[in-house]
Amino acid sequence: MCFKNLPIEFDSAGKPFLKGGIRDPYSTRNAITSVGEVKQMPYDTVRELLARNGYIKDVDFDPVTRVAGALAFHGVADLENRKFIEARSMATLFRGYELIMQGRDPRDAIFITSRACGVCGGVHSSCAALGIEMAFGITPPPLGIIVRNLLLSLEFLYDNPLHLFLLAGPDYSEMIVKATTPSLWEKAIGTPARNAEHHGYATIGALMTDMNPLSGNLYLEALHMTRVAREAYVVIGGKYPHPETLVPGGVSTTVTLQTFNEIYVRLQQFFDYSKKVVTIWDDLTEFFYTANPEYRKNGMRAASMVDFGIWDDPDVYDATYENCNTWGENRWATPGAVIGGELVTTNLQNINLGIEEFIEHSFYKDWSNGDANGLAHPTDPSGAPLSPYHPWNKETLPSPGGQNWREKYTWATSPRWDRQVFEAGSYARVWNTAAAQKIRPNPFIESTGESLKIRLPKAAKPEMNIEWKIPSVWNTFERNRARAYGVAFTAMAAMNDWMKGLDLLKQGKTAVSTEFEIPKTNRIGVGFWGAGRGFLSHHMELDKGIVTNYQIVTPSTINASPMDAWDKHGPYEEAVLNTPILEEFDKQENYKGIDLLRTLRSFDPCMPCTTHIYAGEHTVVREINTCACGVDG
Amino acid sequence: MFDEARSPAEIPTTDGVAEQVRPKSVPAELSFGPLEKIHVFWLAGMSCDGCTIAVAGATNPPLESLLTGVITGLPQVILHHPVLAVEAGKDFVENFYMAERGELDAPYVVCYEGSIADERIAAAHGGYWSALGSEHLGGDKHRPIPTTEWLKRLAPGAAAVIAVGTCATWGGIPAAAGNPTNAMGVMDFLGKDYRSTTGLNIINIPGCSPIGDNFTETVGMVLLFLQGIGPLPEFDTLGRPAWLFNDTVHTKCVRGGYYEEGNFTSEYGGKECLVEIGCWGPVVQCNITSRGAINHMGGCMNTGGICIGCTMPGFPDKFAPFYQMAPGSNISSNAVRAYGAAIRRLRRMTMKFQNMEPRWEENEHVPSGWGAFEKPSIATKAIHYLYQKLQYAGTVRPGDHASPQSAKAKGINSPEV
Repeated sequence: MCFKNLPIEFDSAGKPFLKGGIRDPYSTRNAITSVGEVKQMPYDTVRELLARNGYIKDVDFDPVTRVAGALAFHGVADLENRKFIEARSMATLFRGYELIMQGRDPRDAIFITSRACGVCGGVHSSCAALGIEMAFGITPPPLGIIVRNLLLSLEFLYDNPLHLFLLAGPDYSEMIVKATTPSLWEKAIGTPARNAEHHGYATIGALMTDMNPLSGNLYLEALHMTRVAREAYVVIGGKYPHPETLVPGGVSTTVTLQTFNEIYVRLQQFFDYSKKVVTIWDDLTEFFYTANPEYRKNGMRAASMVDFGIWDDPDVYDATYENCNTWGENRWATPGAVIGGELVTTNLQNINLGIEEFIEHSFYKDWSNGDANGLAHPTDPSGAPLSPYHPWNKETLPSPGGQNWREKYTWATSPRWDRQVFEAGSYARVWNTAAAQKIRPNPFIESTGESLKIRLPKAAKPEMNIEWKIPSVWNTFERNRARAYGVAFTAMAAMNDWMKGLDLLKQGKTAVSTEFEIPKTNRIGVGFWGAGRGFLSHHMELDKGIVTNYQIVTPSTINASPMDAWDKHGPYEEAVLNTPILEEFDKQENYKGIDLLRTLRSFDPCMPCTTHIYAGEHTVVREINTCACGVDG
Repeated sequence: MFDEARSPAEIPTTDGVAEQVRPKSVPAELSFGPLEKIHVFWLAGMSCDGCTIAVAGATNPPLESLLTGVITGLPQVILHHPVLAVEAGKDFVENFYMAERGELDAPYVVCYEGSIADERIAAAHGGYWSALGSEHLGGDKHRPIPTTEWLKRLAPGAAAVIAVGTCATWGGIPAAAGNPTNAMGVMDFLGKDYRSTTGLNIINIPGCSPIGDNFTETVGMVLLFLQGIGPLPEFDTLGRPAWLFNDTVHTKCVRGGYYEEGNFTSEYGGKECLVEIGCWGPVVQCNITSRGAINHMGGCMNTGGICIGCTMPGFPDKFAPFYQMAPGSNISSNAVRAYGAAIRRLRRMTMKFQNMEPRWEENEHVPSGWGAFEKPSIATKAIHYLYQKLQYAGTVRPGDHASPQSAKAKGINSPEV
């Protein structure tokens, strides 16, 4: 029984049905229970304090206000008690992708929706193709599935190092640590690094120096590695971002041995690179925990996270909704919903049923008022009950208006699972896969129930066995650490797929696409996939051969979401409200907000070239950018 | 120093940066021009950040080399990309205000990524579509500043305005049918009379996303021009770098040979020409087939992807539905099929002979265990004989007219001697 709040029960065969006897089962007035809820001070109290106290400070990170990346953050900090008493996350961009998709040929979805995000540039194309295949009733041939898996892996191998060393990385560099916490920097210089033999840095201080933006070797190496991964990507994707080779029913890539060779030369560099990345983030995490245990509370929130899983098994995947639980659990990354640290389901259908989107604090109009009658889709294709707030029933009704902290303040919606706040991230895949013990036998990755063991084979460096253990606390550092292990996970999933691809060539199974006709009847489909920063779904409806509804849920929508129908905060907001202010500053005017910034960035806001040098100020400033796809659909 | 060679009058910027900033005295260090640094304000409107990602992948030159100022002859680029300033952001926005007031210590360029939103629509509801920074209106009230407004404020003082990517150049996908924002490109917004302080029109670098090198190369070339070293780069009538966008992507397509021989694939994944599965390459101005996507790797048709016209003003709607064959291809591919079938046959015949060492041809034997040798027919031989006549008409066939010296040399090697 995975649902605590949704009115869904299961029969003895595990088939979901709508709980009887509830007059208005999906009403948002119904009470809910939630795990790890974070409360903030009442609005009026905060206003009073702001007016009265010098140490209560508005910290509007409003030059964050950028567009495209489009995250702005409003916080109120209590600098004396060293905590945040108000937090609001804002997406400041709307483009209307879901509306643009309506009334189009479904084949257009692959190219149009890709443009929702140029950071996670390829995942939308694949996700659209998966949904179209379900709606069309076609299955890609095995090599087509392998090429898609490889596209995804190679994208992550660019995307996650980009975050770890170009975006989040500078927060842990000498430059920033020294400027915001001088005492911590003194400790770092004198602290030997445990994994010196693996990454080559004798002390934490030396490691931090090489994380300096633009001048540090780890920074520059990561930028280089993002290009290496992208070079491999474009061998099968044509270009990045926005690949050209995804088609309904497979890919249009011309696959030869040259393709496999050119990919492998680049993929293989990530075996050794993973050894370095993982040990660096292990050492950084342990250093902060030891130096000041309060850092465990940085970005802390309940370990509630959801992912659909990724990387299909070409022997099992058939693109049907009916079999999604089977092919879902056969993915290299297991689907799962973790609520308060407990893996409550790995069942793809249940994960889908649990998703709802709320807009109480977003610049949209309600399309349903929670009314379960007369829904476009009262049930999913297998007959299980769907909420009026489920993406298949959702309509996009934009309604721009003024910003009001108590009412509407963002273009992001509030996706919730079983009406609970959850987060999305590459780490959710690591966690689900570690906990579920579903991963099929392979030479490199093993799930123990408490940990994920990964064998990184010999390349220039000797073979190395690493193990990610489910952490006892969920915070900024664990997000980054799990993402680092995710790089190794991704590299070895890609190796599995690369070998499977060669095996298919051996068997002469060289087809990469399948023929199709565009159905003229009413169809629905969904793509369950993932971006570098987690969870991605495209829900669609087609009629008479054209798209009649298209709904996208993305990781950054989830993480940057505002309060929901029950006024419960989104993940960024929760994590900031739990974050202690550990920054060292002589006077309030010099407060920089590093603890809050580390928190936000640990969710993987994404943007390259994250550094620039201020003219005349000698201050290095970094850009933060939530993935653009999070902002709208 | 390179300026000595040409008089300032030859540099087509009458009131340009080069004249204004040229140092009067001879500097102690080698100088390659008047600019030591230049500010770049990167505005992202309704964008996906894909252009930024593409630019970060550039290698000719790499972005970090521009930012660190390590390229000899080029000024250091001080990039103001929309950021989360550590100091609560006011310092970041302050740079934009300084630029607007003309208080920066060096000229600045505006790069615009993403479409321009029609903010009048959102403003009518008291809101916005796309914003950068906000103005505090007192109390709890903030007014997010639309990105479009920033463009309007910064364009008049900019040394150049560069629209990056198809959204900024021509509106792109946010301007597709069904959009609620009335999106448009930078030219649509600033109009044809816009000129930068150096007299430049809006520079357009299209592509969704553009090739990173197309952007960094154009920036590098414009900077070399401002330094007085390079020529004024040539731009076409739509402001595209002419050396990159004059030709169609088809002309340098790696599958162009298949097209010419009338070989078309009918299935996704085929190795032949892609026009019959929906490629628009023959009418699309782009250079990805010769430059590749990143570091000369990839490229759409290079790997099997159709051209969807993503560099063109008509993108996306005029190329949709994607994967539908362009009507023009019907005519051209059928015409070329007839020609290609004949020419292909003749080429295979020639290939048969070119695949033989002269020794094999003479012995009518190929010492390969990989496959059986098929002897050319009498008719083929006759045609080949004529072919060779043509090949060596007016010249000599190697070996036919041996010099006495080479005859002697050959004799030495001969076992009979």
